[in-house]
Amino acid sequence: MSTTAVRRSRLHRREHLTAAAFIAVPVIGFLIFIAYPLAFAVYASFTKWNGLTDPVFNGVDNYVQMWNDPYFWQVMGNTVFMMIGIPIGLLLSLLLALALNRKMRGTTFFRTVYYIPVISSLAAVAILWQWAYNGDFGLVNQVLAFFGIDGPDWLQNAATAKPAIIIMSVWKGLGYSMLLYLAALQSVPRHLYEAAAIDGAGALAQFRHITLPMLRPVTFFLVVTSIIGGAQIFIEINIMTPTGGPEFSTASIVWYIWQKAFNYLEMGYATAMSVVLGVLVFIVTAIQFQLNRRSQFSIE
Amino acid sequence: MKSRILAAVSVAAVAAAALTGCSGGTGSSGGDSGALTFMFRGSDAEKAAYTAAIEQFEKDHDVDVKIIMTTADEYSTKLKAAIAGKQIPDVFYIDPGSVQAYVRSGIIRDITDTVESTVDLDNVWDFGVDSYRYDGKTMGKGAVYAMPKDVGPFSFGYNKTMFEKAGIPLPDADKPYTWDEFVDVAKKLTQDTDGDGKLDQWGTGLNVVWNLPAFVWSNGADWLNADRTKVTVDTPEFAEALQFFADLQNVDGVTPSSTEAATLDTYKRWMKGEIGFFPVGPWDVPTYEKLDFDWDLIPYPAGSTGKPATYTGTLGIAVSAATKNPDLATQLAIYLSTDKTAQQSLVDAGVQIPNLKDMASDWVSSSTLPPNNKQEFLDIVEDYGRGLPATTTYSAEWYDEFFKNIQPVLDGKQTAADYLAEVQPRMQKLLDKANADAGIG
Repeated sequence: MSTTAVRRSRLHRREHLTAAAFIAVPVIGFLIFIAYPLAFAVYASFTKWNGLTDPVFNGVDNYVQMWNDPYFWQVMGNTVFMMIGIPIGLLLSLLLALALNRKMRGTTFFRTVYYIPVISSLAAVAILWQWAYNGDFGLVNQVLAFFGIDGPDWLQNAATAKPAIIIMSVWKGLGYSMLLYLAALQSVPRHLYEAAAIDGAGALAQFRHITLPMLRPVTFFLVVTSIIGGAQIFIEINIMTPTGGPEFSTASIVWYIWQKAFNYLEMGYATAMSVVLGVLVFIVTAIQFQLNRRSQFSIE
Repeated sequence: MKSRILAAVSVAAVAAAALTGCSGGTGSSGGDSGALTFMFRGSDAEKAAYTAAIEQFEKDHDVDVKIIMTTADEYSTKLKAAIAGKQIPDVFYIDPGSVQAYVRSGIIRDITDTVESTVDLDNVWDFGVDSYRYDGKTMGKGAVYAMPKDVGPFSFGYNKTMFEKAGIPLPDADKPYTWDEFVDVAKKLTQDTDGDGKLDQWGTGLNVVWNLPAFVWSNGADWLNADRTKVTVDTPEFAEALQFFADLQNVDGVTPSSTEAATLDTYKRWMKGEIGFFPVGPWDVPTYEKLDFDWDLIPYPAGSTGKPATYTGTLGIAVSAATKNPDLATQLAIYLSTDKTAQQSLVDAGVQIPNLKDMASDWVSSSTLPPNNKQEFLDIVEDYGRGLPATTTYSAEWYDEFFKNIQPVLDGKQTAADYLAEVQPRMQKLLDKANADAGIG
């Protein structure tokens, strides 16, 4: 049978239809649950909308308001500031992964211990830490007092509230990054180290020239996802500092968006801020992909 | 290159979708004319009481009522999502601060006629019903848009056992302390009882958000002028009240020393018997019943007006304007608010005081559980309690602005007068915006 005959056959056509039906499911899903809401969000960002009635077009008013809104800039600054936890977390988790990658007793135990916060509910963890940070009874200050340090009332103090949130986020995310690093470490081909050893490379040189480069894809993945996640920090903020923290010092952008949308009847303005946040996340992610491409290498 | 951009696009798209798409369809349809939906938030005790009451209602009216319960945190988000999706529950909770927006947006129904013809309004707290009246300009007047689910008088309590141990005469429930007297007593109560050189008992420890109104109002000041067009926090009376409040910690030293304002720890300390004066709401009573010291209610200390003040909270039950079954829905709202059996089970669960005046006076005279002076709760509702300032405006943003940067005042790093002068213009701007949105000049 020639190919043209196959194309014309009924069987072939039926198979095509079946294929189209299978493809339609994710495509329609994408259109309904991603493309449409996204398009609607962009439209809503140009409207005055209290979330109760239909939106009314008002041009770029929301964007002008955003530019002139000191709290918008403050929450943006807060959100970026709280991302300090990302490099700290990566460094700590890499060190942990290196430690737990060695053959010694108890590694399984420690892997589990560090992974427990990851699978715990964020809300529960946030409540736990809220207690731990209590100025008078909190576990954190009890530990500090043991070392003779008079700890602050962490979450009630503009200077310590942000670090408090950062410490908690690092603790919560440590296990996840550690596990990915651990997996990556174990998949580094042994022969690279052997070859390097023959060439006379010491442990430090091996780490710098083999381990680190081989971990780059995992680091890249973690940086990208952590920044996206960090830009959307909300639950722990809302639980630990329900009013945005002392002097608004822990209010994050998503918390502010939520507040405007659901408590202050400014759904249109809130949507405009979400759109800006989405665009910023996109730009940052695109830049990261670019940078990563430039510094990529391959082993033949 | 291309695939990387594509990857970046999709990652960002998923992130954006996660953000903008967070409102799911949680409401249930009010479409079926043979059924009603009732959406509320609350505790398990409330759910049990309502479930029983609603079963009775279903029997009496041969109708199915679907109950949707959410946590307190999720309620406003879920309700807004239901409204945006045009899946508004037939009957649902509303707080007085939302009435103007919901009325202007045509979400809730004017139920005045049914309420006035079927409810004995003389037997329901005026504060409860008036909190949901709105005449298009002013709250508290005009048509009724919801029935009170409850009224929550925020009263003041004291630790009787601590007074007796310290040999201080008990406060008079009929004659509030002056501020000076209050500070004097609080100073006497602030002690190092075990002699280890550290204070372990304090006069008081009050959260600014919930307690400041009592001091401001009883000093003749307020957040707004009468027609709610001007923010009036920059008056000397207001500054005096806020300064007095901050000085309790910074000058008089009668509260625990930490900068903690979120009461988590003063609340715990009160329950451990380390705090002399502490606020008490009806919802606290079941917990406080188990305290191992005696306590009772008194009026808040009175400022320059000589009269005590405090706030009364409330939550309402409204009817959707889009309901297919307005009569039954309105009856359900009224039933939940005023039915004796439903009220009794809520009162027995200790979550609220009765909505009905005759039930309330029975409750005051018959119940043997603490507090002794339950009448104080009723006095607040009937006489000296007020709604929080933001319940009379279109949006609460202007009011929340007041507390956003108040910490330096509470820490004694800024004077009350300076702060108030600084915050007034910001609040005024937000109030103007809210009033413009509400269509008020």
